[in-house]
Amino acid sequence: MRLTKVLIGCLLVLLTTNTVHAQQDTAAVLFDKLRAKLNNVEDYVADVKVKIDVSFMKVPALTGKMFFKAPDKMKLERNGGISILPKKNMSLSLNSMFPVGDVTVLDAGKKVLEGKEVRVLKVIPDNDATDIVLTKIWVDESRLLALRTETTTKDNGTVKMNLEFGDYIKQGLPDKVTVFLDVKEYKLPKGVTMDYDVSDAGQAKQPATEKSKKGTIEIKYNNYEINKGLSDSIFDEND
Amino acid sequence: MLRLELFKIFSRPRTYISFLIMTAVTFIIQLAMYVDGSSFVSFALQGVGEQFDIQGNILNGYLITYLVLQSLLVHIPLLVALVAGDVLAGEANMGTLRLLLTKPVSRSWVVITKYIASLIYALMLLIWLAIVGLGLSMLIFGTGDLINLKSDSFVMLLEDDILWRYAAAFAFAALAMATVAALSVFLSVFAENSVGPIIGTMGVIVVLTIFTNLELPLFNAVKPYLFTTHMIAWKGFFDAPIPYDAITNSALVLVAYIVLFITATIIIFNKKDILS
Repeated sequence: MRLTKVLIGCLLVLLTTNTVHAQQDTAAVLFDKLRAKLNNVEDYVADVKVKIDVSFMKVPALTGKMFFKAPDKMKLERNGGISILPKKNMSLSLNSMFPVGDVTVLDAGKKVLEGKEVRVLKVIPDNDATDIVLTKIWVDESRLLALRTETTTKDNGTVKMNLEFGDYIKQGLPDKVTVFLDVKEYKLPKGVTMDYDVSDAGQAKQPATEKSKKGTIEIKYNNYEINKGLSDSIFDEND
Repeated sequence: MLRLELFKIFSRPRTYISFLIMTAVTFIIQLAMYVDGSSFVSFALQGVGEQFDIQGNILNGYLITYLVLQSLLVHIPLLVALVAGDVLAGEANMGTLRLLLTKPVSRSWVVITKYIASLIYALMLLIWLAIVGLGLSMLIFGTGDLINLKSDSFVMLLEDDILWRYAAAFAFAALAMATVAALSVFLSVFAENSVGPIIGTMGVIVVLTIFTNLELPLFNAVKPYLFTTHMIAWKGFFDAPIPYDAITNSALVLVAYIVLFITATIIIFNKKDILS
């Protein structure tokens, strides 16, 4: 009787281990495939329209050319105009949202995202030195596309990214990327800026909103030119 | 008579000293920005730079002009007062006021003409500022998008949307300087020499500017009634969206002050016993 119990116990342990191992492998393979697809794009140039919606920033829609070079170089060029992008370590490319090097991939099951069934992967970098702590990826398995990512970082809070695909779906390049990021408070002394206070002139000030610490950046891409071989010098700050 | 008043103003060396001072201050700001502007930009953008990469020609002619305007609009009232404070008191000091009043014009018209002459001088100062401040800065630093840093927000304006804002800002600055000129003329009616009205004008502006800039509840109650609060409404043209209602209110307050100062000057001057 005791032997039977031991055997059944061993069998259960073996079965559970095999199941978990099979799940991890599947998730890892899926992640590797996704990363390999992204890695096929070494660089691109695209026409973009950038809309920045951050409570303390009043910036009009910016049009220009977005330059990207793997793994994480990105630059918005606006024909001599001023360009604004989140800090480099939190750039807007999907590549930068994926941890580099060895990773542990966990399967977080299936979910429905905007009417589509997607597989959710949790990716943890093995290297503790990277800024990324955890990345959650919502993957459309049939098309091998990341439709949403949520990256938790050590220094830059959590960055969520929604991706919409169209003409460049084969290359895994999005037509529209919406980034939701945490922003810190912005304040300068009034004595320095010598602001014109509209409330002193009888106009009501806009009340501070709850979402003041969240920001959204929307980028629409057009006319991708892929793998044309971009020089590193394009990304120099002084250019 | 206006021509005579303008001749008096522009035949005095002190009138041109104002233009020289303004040119010198503008050159100093431009030189400082040309030599070490990048340090200034890094310092100014610290708050935003922690979170965003801002690249491009930030230090362009439009930004320099904004800085020049911000610095000089504190000092231009002094230069305006140098002339406007002298229009009545200077005549009294030289003993020519009685002679002037023998002309077949009313005292009210004398005050109005002198005020208009001061106004023309103030406008010429601003036009000169536009030439050396805006024109020269655009030549040296080029043009580009403008970043306007406010205490609680970061405003960016596109290059093709800026020049008209400067035209509007200079027009509003002219109204602000017209208010300063009206105050100086008003103080000038009480004095027998021009030092008093000039120092008086600056004193009033300095004290009221402190009221305007100090964030204390006691001062907040009176701020909307001070003309110094409204003199900086030109900055509203560099906001997004532009607070037109507030700018209009500010313009009306300044016009009210001008009417008040000039009317008071006319009443007092009409009743004044002119002894010099």
